Amino acid sequence: MPVIEFDRVSYTYPSGVKALKDVSFTVEKGEIVVLMGENGSGKTTILKHLNGLLKPTSGRLYVDGLDTSKSTVAQLSAKVGLVFQNAENMFFESTVWDEVAFALRNFGFGEDVVRRRVDWALKFFDLNGYASQSPFTLSGGEKKRLAFAIVLAWSPAIIALDEPTIGQDSLQKEKMLHMVKLLNTQGHTILLASHDVEFVAELRPRIILVSSGKITADGPCEEILSDLEILRKCSIVPPQLVLVMDRLRDLGLSRKILDVPEAVKAISEVIGHKHI
Amino acid sequence: MDIVILSILLVVEASAVAAARVMRLWLRTLRGSSYLAALVFIITFLARTLTGADFFDAIGYAIVYTFRLVVFLTSFSLFFLTTTPEEIALTMSKARIPYEYIFAFVSAVRFTPVVADEMRTIMDAQRSRGLELDRGPFTARLRRMIPILIPLLVNVLRRSYELAEAMEVKCFGATKKRTYLKDLNPKTSDYLILAGSVGLFTITIYMRINGYMPFEAITGIRLVSGM
Amino acid sequence: MKIIEIKDLSFTYLGQSRPSLKNVNLEIGPGEFILVSGPSGGGKSTLCRCINGLIPHFYEGKLSGEVIVDGLSTKDTPTYILSQHVGMVFQNPQNQLFSLSVENDIAFALENLALPREEISSRVSEALKLMNLRELADRSPLELSGGQQQKVALASILALRPKVIMLDEPTSFLDPASAQQLINTVDEIRKNLGLTILMVEHRVDMIAPRATRMIVVHEGGVIYDGSPREFYERYDSHLYGVSTPKLARLSYELGRRIEGWPGVFLDIDGFERAVREFASHRIR
Repeated sequence: MPVIEFDRVSYTYPSGVKALKDVSFTVEKGEIVVLMGENGSGKTTILKHLNGLLKPTSGRLYVDGLDTSKSTVAQLSAKVGLVFQNAENMFFESTVWDEVAFALRNFGFGEDVVRRRVDWALKFFDLNGYASQSPFTLSGGEKKRLAFAIVLAWSPAIIALDEPTIGQDSLQKEKMLHMVKLLNTQGHTILLASHDVEFVAELRPRIILVSSGKITADGPCEEILSDLEILRKCSIVPPQLVLVMDRLRDLGLSRKILDVPEAVKAISEVIGHKHI
Repeated sequence: MDIVILSILLVVEASAVAAARVMRLWLRTLRGSSYLAALVFIITFLARTLTGADFFDAIGYAIVYTFRLVVFLTSFSLFFLTTTPEEIALTMSKARIPYEYIFAFVSAVRFTPVVADEMRTIMDAQRSRGLELDRGPFTARLRRMIPILIPLLVNVLRRSYELAEAMEVKCFGATKKRTYLKDLNPKTSDYLILAGSVGLFTITIYMRINGYMPFEAITGIRLVSGM
Repeated sequence: MKIIEIKDLSFTYLGQSRPSLKNVNLEIGPGEFILVSGPSGGGKSTLCRCINGLIPHFYEGKLSGEVIVDGLSTKDTPTYILSQHVGMVFQNPQNQLFSLSVENDIAFALENLALPREEISSRVSEALKLMNLRELADRSPLELSGGQQQKVALASILALRPKVIMLDEPTSFLDPASAQQLINTVDEIRKNLGLTILMVEHRVDMIAPRATRMIVVHEGGVIYDGSPREFYERYDSHLYGVSTPKLARLSYELGRRIEGWPGVFLDIDGFERAVREFASHRIR
């Protein structure tokens, strides 16, 4: 049974904007799925449906068996941890420790469970040195880790991330990539929205393209990111390697190359040197 | 007599509203003020009855009072529906109000929607952490606003800092006397309306001074003063 | 004649124990397109603020050394004069637009300088034309997309007619398509008006093909100053928190395996030419 099931979900904002039109897709446990599309295409709207912040105006959404239209945000958040773009929009406690404990207390865990979970989360994200500090004193990268710790503390089965790499430098992005992969190997289902094509290419996920509230494509990374036509329709800039390979396609090179070692091998052969 | 005057005023307002094509929004204000109007009606009626006026008298009194309030509120809304904040700012500068105040006004109008948006985002983020904002007793809900207000305040403070930097880079405060790209020039129609309003105002004062009874019930029963 | 001269610049923010900039020496000539990169917190933004006078006039701290912009010393010249020689566009599109219409925002700085109305009007017109914003002149910044807002911010700076424009991570909040558009626009304006551009950015792949020079600021010091291409040839960009375009890595690796390979490429056109040349040699 899929862990997420969108069944012809449509959503219209109170202002009248039709953000989602007949969206249907399923996600199995343990998958990594990336939603791609330009700003305003509906990616964030889809993510907000997962924990019930938004309820479908028509159609149904099932998350781990629960019908979201019949569940509260609190009930759904127990299963779906949503990490927003701007982590700082949620800090308010006087210590990092309390910040992580907040959600756990809201969900009704006993104090000893809270203590265990908070200590674990802080350790996992390398933040125990900061436990008694104010969250506002942390650096940008540390704040992002704290946002993750907050959500991971109650170990939701599904983790949803909205543009996790925005405004980050290459080292931070690498850490983010590592973290996402690690969480996935630990069994969490990951759904993330991103327009950072190079980051997505390194993740090798399943990609769902969203455009004007509709799903225009759904498939493995190699297929979608090498389909120049459909990327252009969704105003997505293809990965650099795909563009390079496309220029050289008359030499027999495939566009479906997403990482450098493969590209090196392919081009070396074309140039006539055996790959060392 | 009063009712007649008030009705005329309302008709004048309504025609101005129609001319400015903001009828739908104006009617919405009318509907919105109905709660306040009902409250005022009841209070005025009770006040009058309890101080000795008879039933019809009190009703008449209450009607006129409420009517007056409605005309007052709707005329305010007419002003705001037909004047852009930019025009208000330009008027303020023509009235020689110091620029700091004008800037504060424009910034408030400019950033209120942004802050409102941020508040919604923060509420979403905290709801996702299990914060219950829509249920429970009032006092509990109030305390639950702390996780909303603190991040909001922090954002507002951070924004002010960024804005201050941008203002510095755009030469804010460089000169004592500022010039403006746009100018508001009063037209003939503006002078006419100004003259008309002043005229009406003078007439009403004259009427009042000369003893036209301010409150006459619809049924014609007069409130005899001093009885 | 250098348009920016920085001599032995060091700066420590008030209340900090470690300096954010240590002995920086730089010379920038007119018309250059400089990409400033490096890890977050490394000193890039501090460097920019030293150039337009925000340091020391807006930010307190210990400043030593000299910064001379267009002949003016930043220490001795008030910011409102410096802003007419060096403009700055910030990261957050929302927090640098003040007015209720695009036109008014572009006029904002000029109004603050008390320029005569005709002058303001003509400069606003000019800026609207340069940035292709005529149709949006009456709109409120609230209605604009992030990319459009950044264009308005840039227009409002162009209205001051500076010779240098600095942009501090202007595409951080933009999606890649808008980011590329903004970068293209900046480059075009640079060429048409002969401006000097300093862009602090992480999106190296979008800028490197157009940049004439790359400066890497790491832990308060300039650890590299030269052509973008050479940086990737000689340095482990990863170590310095600078993102590496895939093409750079690809061409670098090919250079290690293939004899005679010309080295690192940052532009696809050059890379394509090199591959075709090698491929045609093979046929022979």
